Amino acid sequence: MSARAAAYRSRWVEPSILPGFNLTLGISVAFLTAIVLIPIAALVLKAGSMPLDELWRIATEPRALASYRLSFGASLIAATLNAVFGFIIAWSLVRYRFPGRRFVDAIIDLPFALPTAVSGIALATVFSPQGWIGRWLEPLGIQVAYSWVGVVVALTLIGLPFVVRSVQPALAEVDATLEDAAESLGAGRFMTFRRVILPTVAPALATGFTLALARAIGEYGSVIFIAGNLPMRTEITPLLIVIKLEQYDYLGAAALGLVMLSISFVLLLTINALNGWRAARALGRRR
Amino acid sequence: MSISLEQVSKHYGGSVAISDVSVEIADGELFVLLGPSGSGKSTLLRAIAGLTPIDRGRIVLHGRDVTHVSAREREVGFVFQNYALFRHMTVAENIEFALRARGVGAAARRARVNELLELVSLQGLGKRLPSELSGGQQQRVAVARALAHEPRVLLLDEPFGALDAKIRDELRRAIRDIQRTVGITTILVTHDQEEAFTMADRIGVMDRGRLQETDEPRVLYTRPRTRFAATFLGAANLLLGRIEGGGVRVGNTVFDTNPSERGGPPRHGEVTVLIRPEDIVLGRSELSAASAGELGYGTVRQIEFVGVLERVRLHVEPNEWLTSALAPGARFTIEATRNSRDAETTKLEVGQRVRIGAKHVHVLPTPISSLRLVGASEPDVERLASSSLVRELATRMHIAPVRHLSSSGIPPEALGGLAVVPFDRAGGFDGIARLLDEGARQVLGIADGHRRIERLVIYIQPTRAAREAALAAAGTLLRHLAVEGTLLVPAADRTVRGTSYRDLLDIRHAALRAHGVDVRTETFRGDVADAIGKRIHPSAPTLLLLGVSSPSSCYGLIEELGPRLAPRPPAATLIVRGNADADRDANTISYLRSASVLG
Repeated sequence: MSARAAAYRSRWVEPSILPGFNLTLGISVAFLTAIVLIPIAALVLKAGSMPLDELWRIATEPRALASYRLSFGASLIAATLNAVFGFIIAWSLVRYRFPGRRFVDAIIDLPFALPTAVSGIALATVFSPQGWIGRWLEPLGIQVAYSWVGVVVALTLIGLPFVVRSVQPALAEVDATLEDAAESLGAGRFMTFRRVILPTVAPALATGFTLALARAIGEYGSVIFIAGNLPMRTEITPLLIVIKLEQYDYLGAAALGLVMLSISFVLLLTINALNGWRAARALGRRR
Repeated sequence: MSISLEQVSKHYGGSVAISDVSVEIADGELFVLLGPSGSGKSTLLRAIAGLTPIDRGRIVLHGRDVTHVSAREREVGFVFQNYALFRHMTVAENIEFALRARGVGAAARRARVNELLELVSLQGLGKRLPSELSGGQQQRVAVARALAHEPRVLLLDEPFGALDAKIRDELRRAIRDIQRTVGITTILVTHDQEEAFTMADRIGVMDRGRLQETDEPRVLYTRPRTRFAATFLGAANLLLGRIEGGGVRVGNTVFDTNPSERGGPPRHGEVTVLIRPEDIVLGRSELSAASAGELGYGTVRQIEFVGVLERVRLHVEPNEWLTSALAPGARFTIEATRNSRDAETTKLEVGQRVRIGAKHVHVLPTPISSLRLVGASEPDVERLASSSLVRELATRMHIAPVRHLSSSGIPPEALGGLAVVPFDRAGGFDGIARLLDEGARQVLGIADGHRRIERLVIYIQPTRAAREAALAAAGTLLRHLAVEGTLLVPAADRTVRGTSYRDLLDIRHAALRAHGVDVRTETFRGDVADAIGKRIHPSAPTLLLLGVSSPSSCYGLIEELGPRLAPRPPAATLIVRGNADADRDANTISYLRSASVLG
């Protein structure tokens, strides 16, 4: 047995017919380091250069706490809304052939392409008490623009494509005979959906949800135009960071940045772990 | 009857997927639907399960009309080719799915799952995921799942397609055993004839959306009624034979025909003869089997060793008595298989000239043995050859049409099969009548050869002889053309009420029994010509089939029909003469001329 063959048996290197494991791993590590890790490390270092009690004080200011609540709360609501409606949109795009289907399909990606400031201004205009939609909501006592609802609306808009585009291919892959099988076994529509279709596309849906959530947490441009930015009420954390930067409070900005980073990281890690566990079950790679 | 289908039809857009399929399947029977891909067999199975809606017809399961009942309420078990297991559920969860859908309690579910796992020999694998099982095991799970809710019908759609040969064999036996144990009525769809033979109680052969033939495997193999079944179920040598003195002459021998053969072979003239490769006997100078009759001589072209057998292909030069039914008059190939002992005693080499004999021949009852194009000039004959009806019949029946010139008298062999003549508007039925007069039994006149025939309208004179011959021809046409058939039956005013309906049922029953093909029947009152005329629309090119008992008896019919149909003649007209009346009437033509109905 040659040394190389032995090396392939180590627990790091999976045998593959394609060579170049060392090369590709090296490139991956270098790239991630330069683009992702070093900037993050800089942030952590900067925040770490202040005393811990100072860091804690800045991070737990009432204004900061309110902004976390809004940022993460609105992001979760928006991602959930997107998961529900994005699934329905993906379903109708995959399952039905209707006039204008390609048109709708193309519209889905627009929030990706539009500068976020533009979508923010557009939303603010439409949902303001005089706007096209806002004027009908106002008599009902619903204020969208300049309230937390507006934040949710903006975050929903920019997150939608993630869900639709993740779920679409997974839905297209669902074997129609699975539904036939469920029906011939006596399952009603709801049972077929709940126990056959949904579990099959759940990993893709979770991926879409995670992406939409991550995007919403980091979103800045569109929210500041519709939120009204009232401290303690409609101020998101990224805005607070920018405000601190404008006041040359680099340490304060770094501290808030570090908090966002930590919460996001834990959130995403949890979702990915849950999803990985579900996917493993669904694909039957339990062992 | 467990499953009963009545004239089930399904179209996808313009194309026919299932066409008038009627069949009855008994309790506990394992029925195999066998056919090439695209023959509509899977569509039919899905229609029975309720997964595909049908356009017309009736589906009855255990006496309950389920035509408009949804799949989930039909109480059938369906097994898919790709298993269609729910991959995120364990084996046990898969199996109990149907019970869960019916709100069965957990304890009862568990008991049933264990029972089923034992039935399919997968004890102890209930907690596995489908992906942890082999293909064969997955299909066993699919079978268990389909049986969980104790359906009374089990439908299997090519269940072994994705498995390798050894597993397939094992699983076939397993499923056959399970089916016998449970005693459930089962339909299995396959394109594999070996699979059909090993598993079936009865086989239904499907092609082009039609159920071509239904019978026990052995009967279908040794005594098929159709060319399609003969060639699809194993290798077949199809030759033309001639009925001679109570037997059939093929090559240099008159073979006995079995008088009890189903469907009854045509009693005279040219017939299609099937000889299976294992019934062919070869010899260098003498035939090795004493009981074999000699066909003629051929040249060995190819010898293949296939395990216990040796397969020999021979080229044969045709003569008057020995010619292929696929391409009459052309050089053809005969296939023979010999066991190793025969191969040992009579060694053959490629290029060798040998004597060919046959132990046994089977006469197909199908009335169309060859296509004979008869025209006054070569362009005439070519026009016939390029007509859409002839081309369609030729490709679908695998018959190369033979061209005959009538300028120097009609050659006698042209009268044997289906004679085809131009239907010229000036001459009308003249050409057809002339050939009938010469002794032809079935003559097809083509008026409009450009458009595809879409409908078949059948009218048969009310005699037994006419009925048999005409229904046989109609059956063959319906099997091979994608057309809708309508049988016109007079609702006689004079007879007692109900008689005409009995007639109608009789005729449908006869059609079903003898030819396995179902036709739609319509009654009419009054004039035949009116009734036929009404059913010939210029928009749907129609083939009119007239069944007559003798040439002389068609005068009256033609006299009636000629002037009525003259303004809008059908695209093609086929006149079939009854078998019983073999007498020739020399006066036909003169009579028709004098009757002035033919222009």
